[in-house]
Parts: sequence; C-alpha cells; structure tokens
Amino acid sequence: MAAKEKTLALGADAAALAAETAIAAGRAGRRKERGAAWIFLLRGGSIVAMIAVWWLLTFFFPPSLIPLPSATFSEVISIVSSGQLFAEMGATLRRVGVGFGIAMIVAIPLGILMGTMKNLESFFEPPVILGLTMPGLVWAVMAIMFFGLSETSAYVAVAVSIMPMLAISLWQGTKSIDKDLIDMSTAFHASPWSKIVDVILPQLISHILAAIRYGLGLAWKVVVVVEMFGFSNGVGYQVVRGFNVFSMKQVLAWAITFLIVMIVVEFGAIGWLEAKVTRWRPRMEAWRR
Amino acid sequence: MAYVHIENAVKYFTREDGSDMLVLDKVSFDTKEFGITCLLGPSGCGKSTLLNAISGLERLDQGKIEVVGGANGTAHGAALLGYVFQDARLLSWKSVEQNLTFALKGMAIPPAEWPERLDKYLSLVGLAEFRHQYPLYLSGGMRQRVGLARGLVIEPEVLLMDEPFSKLDQLTARRLREESLAICARLKQTTVMVTHDVEEAAYMGDRIVILRARPARIVEIFENPLPAGERDVDDAQFIQFKKRLLNTVLKLMETDEVLS
Repeated sequence: MAAKEKTLALGADAAALAAETAIAAGRAGRRKERGAAWIFLLRGGSIVAMIAVWWLLTFFFPPSLIPLPSATFSEVISIVSSGQLFAEMGATLRRVGVGFGIAMIVAIPLGILMGTMKNLESFFEPPVILGLTMPGLVWAVMAIMFFGLSETSAYVAVAVSIMPMLAISLWQGTKSIDKDLIDMSTAFHASPWSKIVDVILPQLISHILAAIRYGLGLAWKVVVVVEMFGFSNGVGYQVVRGFNVFSMKQVLAWAITFLIVMIVVEFGAIGWLEAKVTRWRPRMEAWRR
Repeated sequence: MAYVHIENAVKYFTREDGSDMLVLDKVSFDTKEFGITCLLGPSGCGKSTLLNAISGLERLDQGKIEVVGGANGTAHGAALLGYVFQDARLLSWKSVEQNLTFALKGMAIPPAEWPERLDKYLSLVGLAEFRHQYPLYLSGGMRQRVGLARGLVIEPEVLLMDEPFSKLDQLTARRLREESLAICARLKQTTVMVTHDVEEAAYMGDRIVILRARPARIVEIFENPLPAGERDVDDAQFIQFKKRLLNTVLKLMETDEVLS
C-alpha cells in the first residue's frame, strides 16, 4: 500500500515537472520570437544605413575613390559568377585552414599542460605573452624571408600568429575546470582516457570554440597580408591587383566577398558546431546572440 | 553482504606553514551490515575525510580500513564502492542515463548488464521518464536523485553518502530522505552517510557514530531503537531518541569550548 502511494506520488511529481517545463519552454519560445524579430530588424537597419552613407559619399568623391554601391555589387556578382571567387577564395581558405590546424594541434595540448602544471605555466608564460603582442605583419615578413614565396610561409605565418591566442584561451579554460568532477570520476574509477574525453574536454569546449572564433578573425588578417607580398593567387593578391590598377571598385568588391565568406564561416559553421556541442545547456536567452 | 571495518585510522593534514595537523585520531568502529551508519559531528570535524579515506580518495597515515565480506570487489581489485556527493556532481553534458553508464563503465560492469540495471535504478529513484534529459533541465532534488541512482547502479558493496541532502530545500530534503531510506532498506544496502544534522542522523541511521572535532575522535556509538520502517519525525519515541543524540552532541560542543 505504502509502496503504491509512493509510486503515485512520484508519478504526480513527474507530471508536474513536465507541465512546468512545457510552460517555461512556451514562454521562452514567445520571448524568443519577439526578441529575434526585433534584433533582426536592428541588424538589417544597420546594414542599410551603412550602404546609405556610402551612397551619400559618392556625391562628394569621384567614382575612382568611392564607386557607386550598385557598380560595386555588380562587380561582386561578376566575381562570383565567373568562378574567380572559388579559385581565389579556395587558395586563401586552404592557407587559413592548414595554418589554423597546425596552430590548434600545438596550442590545445600546450594550453592544457600550462593550465595543469605550474612549472610549465611559468616557463611558457613569457613566450606566449610576447607572441600575443607581436604584430601579424612581422610574422608574415619573417616567414617569407625564411621560406620564400611558398605555401609553407603562408601556413607558418598563420599558425605562429594565432598560436599564442589559442594557447592562452585553453590555458585559462583549463584552470577553471571543476576539480570536484575529477574527484567524482576518480571515485568511480574512470580511466585516464575517459577522464579526458568525458570530464575534461567537455568543460573546455566553450573555450575552444571562443578560441576558434578569435583565431579565425586573426588568421584572415594575417593571410591577406602574406598574399599581398607576392603570391599569385588568393584574396590578398586580388586586392593588391585592384590597388595596382587603381580600381577602388575591385578592392571593395573583393573585400565584400571576403566579408560574406567570413560571416558564413562564423555564423554558419561555427554557430552550428556550437549549437551541436552545447545542446545540454538550457538556452533561455539564445536570441541575444 | 559487506560492512566496513575501521581500525585505528590516523590521518594528518599539512598546514600551509608545513606543520602537521591531526585530523583523524585513532578512529575505530564497524559499520552496520545491511543498514545505514551515520557519522554525526560538527562541521569540519573530519567526517568527510573519513568518508574519503573509506573510498580511497584519501590515504591514511596509520591504521586500516577494509570492506569485510565483500562479494567480489571491482575489476580494479578495490572494494566496489558507490559515492553520493553533497552537490550532485553530474556531468552536465551527459544525459541522466549517460551519467549512470559513466559509472558503470568506470567500474567495468559488463555492458550486457547495463540496460537492465539502468531500468531498475532509474525507476527506483522515479526518473525512468527523464532518462534522456540533461541534468541542467532538472530540479535540484531530481539531480540529487540521479546522483543516488549513479551510486546505486554499480550495485556497490558499500554506498558512501556525503551530506547528500544538505544543499536541498527543507521539503525536498525531507522527501528525498524518506525515499532514500526506503530504497536502502529495500535493497539491504550497506551505507555510510555523513551528516551534521541530528534529526537526519536519527531518521536515517541504524547506527549513529558521534565524532568530536579537531581531531576527529569517536565519542559514542548509538544503535537506533526504531527500525527503518517505523521512524516518524513527529512520533514521541523518535523525538526521545533524537534528544539523546542532541544532548550528546551539545555536551561535546560545551567541553570543546572549555578546552579551546
């Protein structure tokens, strides 16, 4: 009898909780809709305003300095439709990708080690901080002097300039790991591998994602500089070519396509990855992002 | 079934200036077989250290702790112990069910047994329909239930609980106490539970070990006159037993104050 009562009570509890969750989800959903629409409007308005200012400036400057937005956008379209975009952007993306990959492979273990071992932390802190303050341009010049005008110098320049930033963010992330969870996994005899994969890495994932965001932003800037020095393809090369024939229209058109690709990577690929790996986190204010 | 035998347990901590501080001073007792043993004492008296020593998270400086009559132990050679923490300590990125399989995997329980055990222990704590939910979507009480299920699902020789209800609100704690007591009694689970709450000790404990602080030393061991099923916090007999415990603890605190 008592047991039956208990099950009943538990059932009621579960139902109440389910109802509560549903109500909360509904409210969050409505708030999300309203919020999302408003944010979308603001963001769209800001882009329209920027183009309007650009258009106004064309009245005061010759088209060689400030081309019409419409002329620039038709240039963008011709870059895309001629297939030129994919060839040039492909080369640039490959350089960013390889350099970025090398940086991750070095920086993630380094950051984790710095966060766990006091000696390594003290030893690597100066080079990491110095590396962070070094301008990407200097790395680019040094890489080209060292490796010549080869793909290697692009990979190295990108990798070296973003490595310190990645390492710092993993280092700080590792220091904020919840030690109680490590104790818990020890109490349940989790293997070292399981501790890394099930307990430590998931706590680092948001730091890794933030590092990827910043790292990519930095990598774009460095790769363009490297390409400007004398590569024969890539977005940076195209910008220099525009400069050489003094065509602001071309420079702007390439800059815009570049921005579009960056936005796709940033919000599309990384946003998708983030949503996928942080599914477990309740996201009441997701629309704020 | 198993019980824990503790003999002359001595443990020092190192202070920041390098000097030693005695935490456990020759603590010896046996826990109740099949039942719940409560370690009761003021906060910071070394109860948790003792529990960690039983679990192997802390190493003793002298003396021994052994699980007597354990069936077979773990694949790792140690005794099979379950642990329920003060805060649930769940892996937020794993579902309720995955949190339990994390323990099963760690304890090297054959995967063939997992589905049956998951069903059994999740329904025992009333979470069968939340098995695919993530912990951050659950209430504090439900998270602590997941913690309890995780401690039980490995079918431990001894279950160790470190103030498992102290971070919950009063009503949830009361409810969970009742349920945990019923579950442990039904499973005949040998359990060691740390608490600083006298009523909780009187309610949960079949045997209550009262410890004094700095260093932890046994003051008195009580056997609960009421069997698990007949304890009612409003009942006169229960209140009488609770008062006996309370007086012992209060007296102990007075003498400690005189000493310090």
